[in-house]
Order: sequence, then C-alpha cells, then structure tokens
Amino acid sequence: MSRVPPAAVALLLSVALFFLAGLVQPNFVNAAQAINIVRLAAFLGIIAAGQTLVIISGGEGIDLSVGAVVTLGAILTFMISGGSSERLWLALLVVLAVGAAIGLVNGLGIVFVRIPPLVMTLGMAGVVQGTILAVTRGNIPGGVPRALANLVTGRFLGVPGAIYLWALLGLLMWFVLQRTRYGRELFAVGVNRRTAALSGVNVSGVVVLTYTLSGLLAALGGLLLLGFTQRVFLTLGETYLFPSIAAVVVGGTVLAGGRGSYFGTMAGALVLTMTESLLRSMRIGEAYQMIVFGAILVVLLSVYGRQRERE
Amino acid sequence: MPDRDPPASTPEPLLSARGIAKRYGAVRALEEASLSVRAGEVVALLGANGSGKSTLGKIITGITRPDAGTLTFDGAPLHLSEPAQARRRGITAVYQELSLVPDLSVAENVWLGHEPVRRGGIDRRTMKGRTAELLASFAGVFSVPVEPDTLVDSLPPSERQLVEVVKALAWRPRLLVLDEATASLDARQVDRLFELVRGWREGGMAVVFVSHRMNEIFRVADRAVVLRNGVTVGERRIGEVDEQELVQLMTGGGAVAAIALEGHDAPGAAAAPPGATEAPVVLELRRFASGVVAPLDLTLRQGELVGVGGLQGQGQSRLLLALFGAVPHQGEVRLEGAPVAFRNPRQALRAGVAYVPGDRNREGLLPVRPILENLQLPNWRRYGTPLRMERARRDAAAVVADLDVRLASLDEPVANLSGGNAQKVVIGKWLSRRPKLLLLDDPTKGVDVNAKAEFYRLLARLQAQGTTILFHSSDDAELLGLCQRVLVMQDGRVTATLEGDTLDQRHLVAAAMGAQGAGAA
Amino acid sequence: MRPSSAWLRNHTYLVPLVLLVVAVALNYYFQPNFFQPRVLNGNLRVMLPLMVLAAGQALVIIAGGIDLSVGAMVSLVNVLLVTLVTRESGPPEVLLAVGAALLVGAAAGAVNGLCVAYLRLQPIVTTYATSFLFSGVALAVLPRPGGALPRALTTFYRSAPLGVPATAYGIALLLLLWVVLRRTRFVQYLYAVGGNAAAARASGVRVAFTRFLSYVTMGLFAALSAMMLTLSTGSGNSRLGDAMTLPSIVAVVLGGTRLAGGQGGVVGAVIGVAVLTIIRNLITFSNVPTWYQTLFDAVVILLALAGPGIVQLIRGRRA
Repeated sequence: MSRVPPAAVALLLSVALFFLAGLVQPNFVNAAQAINIVRLAAFLGIIAAGQTLVIISGGEGIDLSVGAVVTLGAILTFMISGGSSERLWLALLVVLAVGAAIGLVNGLGIVFVRIPPLVMTLGMAGVVQGTILAVTRGNIPGGVPRALANLVTGRFLGVPGAIYLWALLGLLMWFVLQRTRYGRELFAVGVNRRTAALSGVNVSGVVVLTYTLSGLLAALGGLLLLGFTQRVFLTLGETYLFPSIAAVVVGGTVLAGGRGSYFGTMAGALVLTMTESLLRSMRIGEAYQMIVFGAILVVLLSVYGRQRERE
Repeated sequence: MPDRDPPASTPEPLLSARGIAKRYGAVRALEEASLSVRAGEVVALLGANGSGKSTLGKIITGITRPDAGTLTFDGAPLHLSEPAQARRRGITAVYQELSLVPDLSVAENVWLGHEPVRRGGIDRRTMKGRTAELLASFAGVFSVPVEPDTLVDSLPPSERQLVEVVKALAWRPRLLVLDEATASLDARQVDRLFELVRGWREGGMAVVFVSHRMNEIFRVADRAVVLRNGVTVGERRIGEVDEQELVQLMTGGGAVAAIALEGHDAPGAAAAPPGATEAPVVLELRRFASGVVAPLDLTLRQGELVGVGGLQGQGQSRLLLALFGAVPHQGEVRLEGAPVAFRNPRQALRAGVAYVPGDRNREGLLPVRPILENLQLPNWRRYGTPLRMERARRDAAAVVADLDVRLASLDEPVANLSGGNAQKVVIGKWLSRRPKLLLLDDPTKGVDVNAKAEFYRLLARLQAQGTTILFHSSDDAELLGLCQRVLVMQDGRVTATLEGDTLDQRHLVAAAMGAQGAGAA
Repeated sequence: MRPSSAWLRNHTYLVPLVLLVVAVALNYYFQPNFFQPRVLNGNLRVMLPLMVLAAGQALVIIAGGIDLSVGAMVSLVNVLLVTLVTRESGPPEVLLAVGAALLVGAAAGAVNGLCVAYLRLQPIVTTYATSFLFSGVALAVLPRPGGALPRALTTFYRSAPLGVPATAYGIALLLLLWVVLRRTRFVQYLYAVGGNAAAARASGVRVAFTRFLSYVTMGLFAALSAMMLTLSTGSGNSRLGDAMTLPSIVAVVLGGTRLAGGQGGVVGAVIGVAVLTIIRNLITFSNVPTWYQTLFDAVVILLALAGPGIVQLIRGRRA
C-alpha cells in the first residue's frame, strides 16, 4: 500500500499522459489543448461528484442511476426554461428538487427495504428513463438559455466557464467532506458501519442523505451539460455513467469505502479524459482504444482496488 | 475359566504434544504446554482466561502452527498447515456452529468437502442415508425435528451445534476435540452427548474435552490437564481429584496480589469511603435480560467500579451491549431514577452512557482514519458548520495530553498507535462528554503493563469525578485489584457476586466454572 | 419454530413460476394467437440466447460474484463465428468454429476469473473494465457488421422438427444440462462459497478456484449464447450482445436468486427471462400508450427486484 496519495499519482499520470501525447503528435502540447482536455474532463468530474460520495459511504455503495438522472436534468432544464434565461432559476430549482427526490427514493430503498445498491439504482435508472420517454414522448420542446450557454462555454481570462464551475464544485465538495459533520461521519460510515453506530452516528441517516445528494448532483450535472452540448437527446447521460465510477476508483477512492476524496475523482476524470484523447490522437482505431482503456483500468484496479479478504 | 491375558502395558498415547510454545506478537499464549491423549480416553483441558487452552486446541487441529515443541500422532510426527490436513490424519474438532453454510441442508453441510460421489456426481441418496444414521445418535433429544433435508438456517442454535458434532463425526475421527461444544446445548442434549462420548471411547476414539463447566468435566472425563499462563501445570485422574484441587491448580494456589499502583492503594479497595453506601443510585436493573443473558437485578451507585468476570463468552459483552442499547433487551432499566429504554446507541449517548467495545479494531476505532477523527467522532455536532477545526484539534489535543497518548501527530492514522495508546483513543472519544455511566468491555486486552497502569489511574480519576463504571475483564487479577464488587457470569447467568471476603481468585474461578462452594450468589 | 426443509430453498423458482403463469395468461388474453407455432416460435427465438446467458450469470451470482462483461463476450464470440464461418462452409468449418468459440469464451471468462478470484479485484468495476477489452477485440475483428451463415443453419434455428420449435429443444437441453451440472461437486461448492465462504474454506473447499471456475463457466455459457444469437440473426455485429448484460442480471434476480449468492438456480433464471420477455410483450399489447411503455416496464422490474426486500419489511424484518 503506497503512502503517496492516489490523487496525486493520478494527477501526475494525467500530466505524464499529456506529454506522452505530445510525443505522438507534435503541436499537441500547448495551453489550448490542455484547457480543452480539462474542459472535457470537467463534465465527467461534475457528474462523478455524487458517485464519489456514494462510494465513500461503503456498503457496496454505487449509483447506477447517475446516467439517467443527468439526462433528466438536461431535459428538464431544456423544457422548463424554454430557452429563456429568466426561467433558468426556476429550472435550476426544479432540477435540484427532482434529482434529490430520485436520490431519496434510492436511499430509502437501500436502507429500509434492504435492496442492494446495485439493484436499486439500476432499477431507478430504468424508471427515470421510462419517465423521460413518457413525459417527452420523444419530442422535446424547449431551448437552451443563453445565460447557461454563456456560463458554461463562455471564456473568462481565456478559460471556459465550465472549468471555473468545476473548480467551484471541487471547493464545495472539499467543504462538505472536510468541514461538515456529515462529511466526517460519511467517512466513518464507509470504514466501519458498526463502529460508527457504536460511536453515536446515525448510519441510516447518513446513507440516505448520501444517495439524495448523489441524485441532486447528477441532476445539476445534467443542467450544466446542457450548457455545453446545447442539445438534448435521450441517451445524453448514458456515456457518463460507467466512466464516473472509473474516475472515482482511479482517483483513489476505495470501492470498499471509507477513504478517498473528490480531488482524487477530479484527477481520475483527467486521467480518463486524457487517456481517451491520447488514444484518439494516436489514430489507432476505436477498437484498440477500447482494448487499451480496458487494460489500463484493470491495471489501475490491481494497484488500488484490491479487496481485503472478507472472512 | 477363560485364560486371562496379562494386563497390557500402558499403551502409547495417540496424540502427544510436548513443549508447545506460541506467541502472538508480544503476547505469549503458550510457553511450555503439553498434552497427551490415548486412544479410548477422554481428556479434559482446563484453564482460566489467558491460560492458552484454546490456542492449544487450535494447534492440535491445524488452525495454527506452534513456534516450538513437538507433536506426534500415532507414532509419527505431526506437521499441520491447515485443518484439512488434520482431518485427513484423523483429528477433527467440533466448532461452535460457525462452520455451517446457512442456506444448505443438514446433509449438505455435514458432507461438505467430502460428499459421496457416484458416476461423476454427488450421490444424494447415500448422503442422506448416512446423515440420517448419524442424526439417529441424537434421536429423542432434538427440540425440533431435524432431518437430513432440513435447512440449517431454520434451526435453533442448540440444534446447529448438534449438526456441528455430526459433521465432525462424518469424518470418522480418531481424535475428536470438543471445544466448548456444550455451550448452547440443553441438559438432555448434553446427557446424550456424554452417553455417545462414552460409546466412542469404548470404540477406541480419543477425545479432548475443553470446557468451562466443572460438573461436566467430572461427568465425562478420565483425566484432566490444567493449563495456567501457557504452561501445563498439572494432570490428574478424575477419580483421584476434587473440584477444589483443580481450581487450586488453575489459580496457582496462592491468592493473586492486588494490583499496586505506585504507592496508591488499589482504587477498588480504597474507594469505599465511609459514606459510600449513601451515594445516589445511578443504575438500577430489574429482570434485565438480553439474548443469552438471563434476567438479572443490579444496582450501581455513583462512583462505583463494579466488575463483570468469568470465562470469556459467557454473556458479559452482551450485557454491556444491551445496556448501551445496541442490541434488543427486556426488563426495567432506571438511570438516575428515571426509567429509560435505549433502542439505539444514540439514545444511550444522549442520556450520558458511554461504551468501550472489546474488539478495539473492529468496533471501537476506524484504523485508517486519523486520530483526530477517531477522538471526535461522537462530538462533531458541537463544532458547528463549518466545523471549527482549530477548536476540535485543541480539544482533541487536550484529551491526548490528559491521557498521555504517545503519538506523532493527530493526523496519523490510528492504526499506527500501539495497543495501549489506541485503547486510550477509544476511551478518549467519550471523556469530553463526562459520561455518567461508563461501560468497558475488556479494555486492557493486548495492552502492555505500563499502559495498563496508566489506565487504572484514569479509572480512579473518573471514579473520583463521579463516573460510575461497569467493567468486564478477562484478566482476573485486574478485576480483583480494581473492583469493590465483581459479578461472575457463566452461561449468561450471574453465578456469584463477590465482595469483601469472597473477593479473591479462588472464589472467582470457582464461580466461573460453576464449582461448588462458589461464594455468595 | 418449526424448521423448514431445504427443498424450498432449492426450488426458489416457484414464485417466479407463478409469475410466469400469470404473465402468460395475461399475454394470451391480449394476444389470443400466443400459442400458435409461429408466434410461440418467434418468442422463443428471442428468449433462448438470453436464457443461456442468464444461466451462466446465475452460476456466477450464486457463488457470490457478478459479471458485467457478458454482453461483450457474446459480441466477441459472435464476430468470431461470422469470421470463421461463411455461407459456403461445410460441417468441418462449423465444428471448428464452435470449438474456437468455446475456447475464446472460456479464455475471456478466465481473464475475469483471474482478476476477481485470485487478484481479489472488485467484480463490478473489474468486469466492466474487461467488457471494454472484449468489445475492443470484437471491434478489431469485425469493424463493420456483416457476415453470413450457411442457409441450412439459420433455417434450422427457425424450424420446428416434429412440430415443436427447435428453440424449445434448445431450452429443454439447457434445463437438462442444469440437471446434470447440479449434481456435480463444482456446483455444490458454488452454493457453499456463496453462502458462507469462510465455512466452505474451513471444510476444505478451494474457494478461490471455485470462484475462478464460475467465471470460466460463464464464458462458456456466453459462447453458447452467442452461437444461438448468431443462428438467430444470421450475421455478425460487434455491438450485438451489449444490450444483453443488464437483462441477464435482472432475469437472474427475478428468478429468485439473491444477488448476495448462496441460493437460487438456473431454472429461475430461465423463468426470469421468460417473464421479462412476456412483460415486454404485454406492455406492447396492452392499452398502455406507447410512450408510457418503457416506464411501465421499468416500474414492474423495479418492483420485482424489490420484491424480496419488501416482503421482509412487511414481515417485520426477520433477520
């Protein structure tokens, strides 16, 4: 077990990959390209925030409804704001509320009905997807508020708004994890639920809150993603689901729970996005990209993801 | 008149263990232990807490390897690296119903790992038939019907224990180790088991019987081997010895010196100032029961340090957990006169009860998290949002200084600390809350001598501040030295309450084993 | 407390079976020609590949694991088959292809098994990662969908020898295979390891090896499933199997197997697939408006997955 924080390793890895890409394709290594990578990673990172909390909470915690909730968030924003920037605030409120509600259902099912997280969130993903279809009937009227597009893609000091937003989220997550009672108790719950309970922690409450937050953050991620893609389609969030899990794991948050940080996830998102870009720039074809991606994941898991023998 | 063969010379022992030593880190579980068992003989293995008897049992059955000593079985040297090897040589142990798979049937569990096969597949008919035969030995004493096809999960603990016995028998052992195998059995089942043991003995099986019940030892064993502090101190034929003598061997004859704390008298002995009986009552239990703990009554006054003793696993932990609200319980509980019913630890905490668990690493600490977090885990509510970390660190540092925890920094993971210091952190969690009632479950296990002394000083200080302490310990000397009163538990019952004249090791061990003349109940 | 027989635990498919009967009855109500050979055959053709896949998944789950790469394995074997077999191929080539398919399936399963059983990596994320590996290889082998099989084979799959659909024989063979496998010590140890690995180890069962074998077996079943699927579609596509992964898991849970392992079985998984397929049919035929169908489907599945938990909740959470 290395003493170097995995987040730092992941960060170094992504930087190394960046320069490696420069070897393959000269002119790759420049500020604009770096900013581009970070911008792409930002959305994955934002979406993986809730997943980070869920995985830290342990107990085989995982949230497979993230993809569907992201899509829902984007679509709700699209429809409710109708393209008007004034109604963006209303859309934001609704999106956060709906996301939290979905997460709450997940949490209640997991804690009180004792449904395994994998099953519960997978089922909810289907329900959310179905609701999207039922409500939109395939025809999604609405628009992207100018304010949102500007916020996300507009540049300030040459850096896209999305990156600032991601940094802001990073700070917020740090605050929640390190400077709130919830955050401290979350780590305890992830390490050992029995110890936490015997030390007076309301384990059920912490777990339910965690899934609620995950839903809320995923919905928020969808709203921001809309500002970037500026169009909606039914599988918008799907492509972010499993990478969100991978980003968390690569960033050093142990799947068993109790350890990790959002900075790790951010670094993980960078590594994954960087790897994808590198592979694409090497023009080795989608097939080999997938193979390398899978192989890298397995290697990283072998280093960071070993399970302790559960007796 | 038939010719009589000349009396056979004493047969060679089937199993012979000599000079066995085993250390677990700094703890010497066994120093110079020996045991020999002949075919057709039942040998009882006795010892107080910390005697090493369970370690010896683990070595014989292949769960652990000894550091030194020789083992011979059937004339040949015995080197075991796993239980399966021991089984193949003919040595099997009966575990405490922890080796059963709940979702499988009785037959499937009994034959797990050595199922009869026929044409490439499991021969279920033969399996069921043989299981039925084995189960027949206990016919008539099952409290519920037990068939080969019965789901193990649906059996009560006593029947599961019997399945464990049957499972061991299925391996046709030449040496059978019964380690506290009678713990969950009812009287009739114990009778039947002993009948069977006698039968097996006639058939040439050797049996090692580890037990904490004196009367059982005298019923079934031929010989008794006594361990004390990891050394075999004596061996007697059952017909030639009485309970008191065995207790004597277990305790080493003399009374154990009370713990001297550098010039202070043992707090327990001294902490009974003249007006003590007028201290307010803090805890009152009436017909309090939980799980294996049978209904008991108890009164604790403020500032008392009352001990709970007896051999390990007799319900002491369960009692403490139940008082803390962590497990279901029945009966009346009054805290400072007001009736309470804690449904979870949070409620107990709010009422001023604190609990220090026995398994430090699995229940008391978060080993990978920093010391600061461990210390403040129950207290974060006090520091607001955003958490005033500076205050939290100062408070934690104060506790650390108070308890003299030796650490490099508050941000180190708790796992880096030594046993004694880690234990201080576990207690430190509660100190700032000034609990009214402190429940300690074997807190000095694995703690070195110096740290223990510091710990005792801490307890004395807490007592002086008015904290009432209920203290379970598996270390008899500790209990006797610190407490004014000791409840001795066996099989979930309080078999004796020792104080004053009866507060000595002889009475303690006798009560723990259920021997006669155990003292005031 | 009267102890129960293990029989009930051994036959956890009974409740799903009741569900199936109800579902079929409803389907018949909405679609009276349900039992006509053509319609029945059509349904069975769709179900068979997923049934075989779910059977393998059941074995992995019983042993306490899970495999999210199964869809990718199916795709991989599918493209392999259409690469090795053409419209003109004769029996020798076909047999060779079958052999290669099984080998590749087993190898893929072995990769998973190595990671989960011996390296002790977490099953969910690991098999997700290997799914990328397998998908990538599949894409490399067959960059564009295509390929064809000998006409005789595809016709056979659609045919109905002796009036019974060929796929029905396939299902029967699958169940027969299960009967044989269930007798083996290997499958018995799957249950033991999934039920209480520590106890199994104490009894001398080789836990890691058992887990490893469960993944290899999954690979073999994925290969078989791919063969059925290829016969059904008659062509190859590197994405073909991807959509089968999650339904394979849902079917296993619907069929009465706990995700934690230790009990359940293949019969339940097969029934689970049937129930899933028929529910989909039902939703199509019922008066539920088209746009609500997916939602309905998902809610029903969620309720079915939540079923065991809700029952326990009502019973007062008997531990």
